[in-house]
Amino acid sequence: MLKADKSLGIIFFPAFDWAISPTHPEREERLLYTQDQLREEGIFDIEGIDEYKPSVASVEDVERVHFCFPDVPSVATRSHMVSAGGAIRAAELVMSGEKERAFAMVRPPGHHAMKVVHGSRGFCNINIEAVMLEHIRARHGRKRVAIVDTDCHHGDGTQDVYWHDPDTLFISMHQDGRTLYPGSGFPEELGGPWARGRNLNIPLPPGTSDEGFLAVMERVVMPILEDFGADLVINSAGQDNHFSDPITNMNLSAQGYARMNEMLAPDIAVLEGGYAIQGALPYVNLGLCLAMSGMDYSGVREPDFTPDSVHQEKRITEYIDRLCDVMPELYFNPPAFDGSEKAREGVISAGWFVRHKDIYYDVDNISEAQTEMVRECPDCRGTVRVETRSTNNPLCLGVEVPADACDACRDEGYRILEEAQLKGGFRYIQFINRRDDEVVRHGF
Amino acid sequence: MLLGIDVGGTHTDAVALEERGGCMETAASCKVPTDHDDLLGSVTAALREVLRDVDPARAVALNLSTTLSTNAIVEGKVEDVGVLVSAGPGIDPHLFMPCRHFYALDGYVDHRGNEVRALRGGQVREAVEACRKDGVRVFAAVGKFSTRHPRHERVMRNALCAVDGDEPCEAADFVTMGHELGGTLNFPRRVATAYYNCAVWRVFNEFAEAVKRSLDDLGLGHVRVNVLKADGGTMPLAESRRMPVQSIFSGPAASVMGIVALCDIVHDSVILDIGGTTTDIAVFADGAPLVEREGIDIGSLPTLVRALKVRSIGMGGDSAISVLADEVRVGPNRLGPSACHGGERPTLTDALNWVGESEVGDVEASRHALRDYAASHTMPAEVLAGRAVEYASRTIHRETRALVDEINAKPVYTIHELLEGKQVVPRKIYLMGGPAESMRGPLFERFKLSVEVPSDYAVANAIGAALTRTTWDLELFADTERNVMFIPSLSYRENIPSNYGLEQARRDAVNQLSMHLDAMGVKLDKDEAQITHASSFNMVKGFDMVGRNIRVRCQVRPGVTHRMGRV
Repeated sequence: MLKADKSLGIIFFPAFDWAISPTHPEREERLLYTQDQLREEGIFDIEGIDEYKPSVASVEDVERVHFCFPDVPSVATRSHMVSAGGAIRAAELVMSGEKERAFAMVRPPGHHAMKVVHGSRGFCNINIEAVMLEHIRARHGRKRVAIVDTDCHHGDGTQDVYWHDPDTLFISMHQDGRTLYPGSGFPEELGGPWARGRNLNIPLPPGTSDEGFLAVMERVVMPILEDFGADLVINSAGQDNHFSDPITNMNLSAQGYARMNEMLAPDIAVLEGGYAIQGALPYVNLGLCLAMSGMDYSGVREPDFTPDSVHQEKRITEYIDRLCDVMPELYFNPPAFDGSEKAREGVISAGWFVRHKDIYYDVDNISEAQTEMVRECPDCRGTVRVETRSTNNPLCLGVEVPADACDACRDEGYRILEEAQLKGGFRYIQFINRRDDEVVRHGF
Repeated sequence: MLLGIDVGGTHTDAVALEERGGCMETAASCKVPTDHDDLLGSVTAALREVLRDVDPARAVALNLSTTLSTNAIVEGKVEDVGVLVSAGPGIDPHLFMPCRHFYALDGYVDHRGNEVRALRGGQVREAVEACRKDGVRVFAAVGKFSTRHPRHERVMRNALCAVDGDEPCEAADFVTMGHELGGTLNFPRRVATAYYNCAVWRVFNEFAEAVKRSLDDLGLGHVRVNVLKADGGTMPLAESRRMPVQSIFSGPAASVMGIVALCDIVHDSVILDIGGTTTDIAVFADGAPLVEREGIDIGSLPTLVRALKVRSIGMGGDSAISVLADEVRVGPNRLGPSACHGGERPTLTDALNWVGESEVGDVEASRHALRDYAASHTMPAEVLAGRAVEYASRTIHRETRALVDEINAKPVYTIHELLEGKQVVPRKIYLMGGPAESMRGPLFERFKLSVEVPSDYAVANAIGAALTRTTWDLELFADTERNVMFIPSLSYRENIPSNYGLEQARRDAVNQLSMHLDAMGVKLDKDEAQITHASSFNMVKGFDMVGRNIRVRCQVRPGVTHRMGRV
């Protein structure tokens, strides 16, 4: 009988009874053929590879990460809670040592969900990686974690959630935002003033193939990961860079995906997008499962694979080459934060970092305007205060006291809460004190 | 009158059951020693014995559970098989080749049954020739995703048989095509199952022939013969000759069906068959036995053979008692017979004799052996006996709990299943086997659940064999974009209209199931056909729905034709 080199737990939750709409790319059928392929290959008969049931995430799990308005049940369906629970189960398998690695093959995905949630963006409502990661941190303490997002779309949600967190390195490789949703993810987006270089975006031109992706892995991602020295490496494993994906323009193959994953050697992988549900997902997912378990994946090939599928134009190779030269610098020597009046990434004013954001929720057609503030603090990460209003909700407030908060920042958090309750015109207030694990919801 | 025979490791048990005054009763029963070198002899001897007091002419059916295929595989007494596979991309098929004559051919069918690459005629012929040259006479033809489209397996069969279509096979003695084994997806298991089916085909068929002859000699030529399967059902003898692999591990199934026949099981329950060497644990949900999700393992290879979920642990009446430091253990080793049956080392049975739960064999010998062994470990004998019994019940309890937890942890695929998920919570324990009666008390103490020991438990397995009904299952797969419906295990393919739906698929599955059973001479009550899975997925190209992908699984639920003590 075959035996896996690395033990692997697979959480498979295809949500066969949930879809955005009957013909939407994110629908019931999405993981059907993946399931067929994994079963037919007999992957669960390999010693060391086992399938597990997902957990169900709790409201507290979600509130550790998000300010959901008006509340968690309104923005996250049961399916979202199970999907996030699947990621949590994957994390538990690895943290408990039951498995060396785990892959949460779940849907719906989550990497476009930001810190504040009013609805669904890019098929995402809650950020399942972040919910998983904060669940880990709540149980196992502060951890240095690297999230490498290999989805074709910029992981703008994950970027937003961890913008101010120096303990979380977020690297997103994606199709250039000038050519694809969500239109963000440029190299100058480097993280908040106290987490510069912890957020890295590697925009790749349409037409990038295995060659380009592997070059970026080798020359940018791996050296940075090595320097960062993460306790845990997480792969946000979106699979829409595939050459056959209907909503993107990249040329990555199943072999390329498997090789990337093999180099990355993530402790946990969480499925994100990927909408070539017949011609790509079954093969990419199989390749990932084999790569994660340290098995030979050289026999995995898509039916419509031809050498042309992974052809990369010379000018793209040259462009990526130049990108690889400059990208590492942004991590090793990030330019200082420019907090002046004209800076687009925010200003420092009266001891607070302040930035304004306008966010559009494409799935639910919601527009949001928010002001995010983070207290400038020499002793901790600083209390966060977010004012937000949207076409769905009147003015709301989110306050977060970080896990490592100093006494002053904690007291400031409670002061803001009290003041807001007394005289603020906020319809809903969500307060989370990560330091003492206290949650207050007001106005419901 | 119904006859049942269970060929066990130690004994071959036989019963003759008869309906009297509206009650199913045991008319005769016997136990004869099993001769592993002459299973036919054991079967014949048991039949002769049991027919001494009843009229053979009244017998209508004989259900037979035999270890023949299992032993042949475990002992490696199998013949060479030529295995031809078309694997396409994925895990290298050579990693699970079951035997020497293994040929991986270039060809590729995808998960929807599209032929991506055809087989190469020359390569197929070469493989066939190579097998022939080595004198191979039986063959397995297996394709990846052949359950979606069996074309490659048919091409291989035709090459092996030197025919063009469905004509009888000329050039080979026997060919198993993978899709005939059922609709379950799992290529490595399909390869292994097809291989085993061929490997035991000849020895099983010779046995089946011989059984037929013996029955004629005994005046039982008119009797309908069925063979037990591991899933707690039977198949007609003719069917078993085509699918001998289905007869592996039917022993535990006979025991479990025996309990079903003797007791009225309606709740979630645990069945414990405490034998000499092992205790078999089976679990029932809502009164129905649970089966392995994919199939059972044999000879280190996982197969597609459906089997009851049975966990076997090294804890039986003959399990030796040992003392390690201060801890008293029982099993997992079996060291000769119990002291009460002339052995030297005290066993669980001896301990049960001491604590007064039973009086088996020479009770005084039990006491003597326990006293000696306890003295050598400076421990009072009553403490040794008490702890041994406690250890046994604790072990059985722990293993049972683990099995139930494992069943409850099985993955689910929809929100509904996860949130409203059925959990198995045993409410009753059924006990059988030699030490059953004497373990009743200790197990009740441990489980705190009602414990029942049926009468007749000594030959319950043969009763189970006699009363087990014929089962069959099939999977239907329809693709309305390609206008095709396919039932792999029946090799049945039909064109369907684009508006074919889930309801029709369910009806077709049940109809095909009963038609097939009918052809095997088994009458099926429509209510006995059970749909165990039904799903329909919209297939979308661009943003348009182009068809539906429909899957239905249908089965005759394993069970018994009659309950003992009533009709």
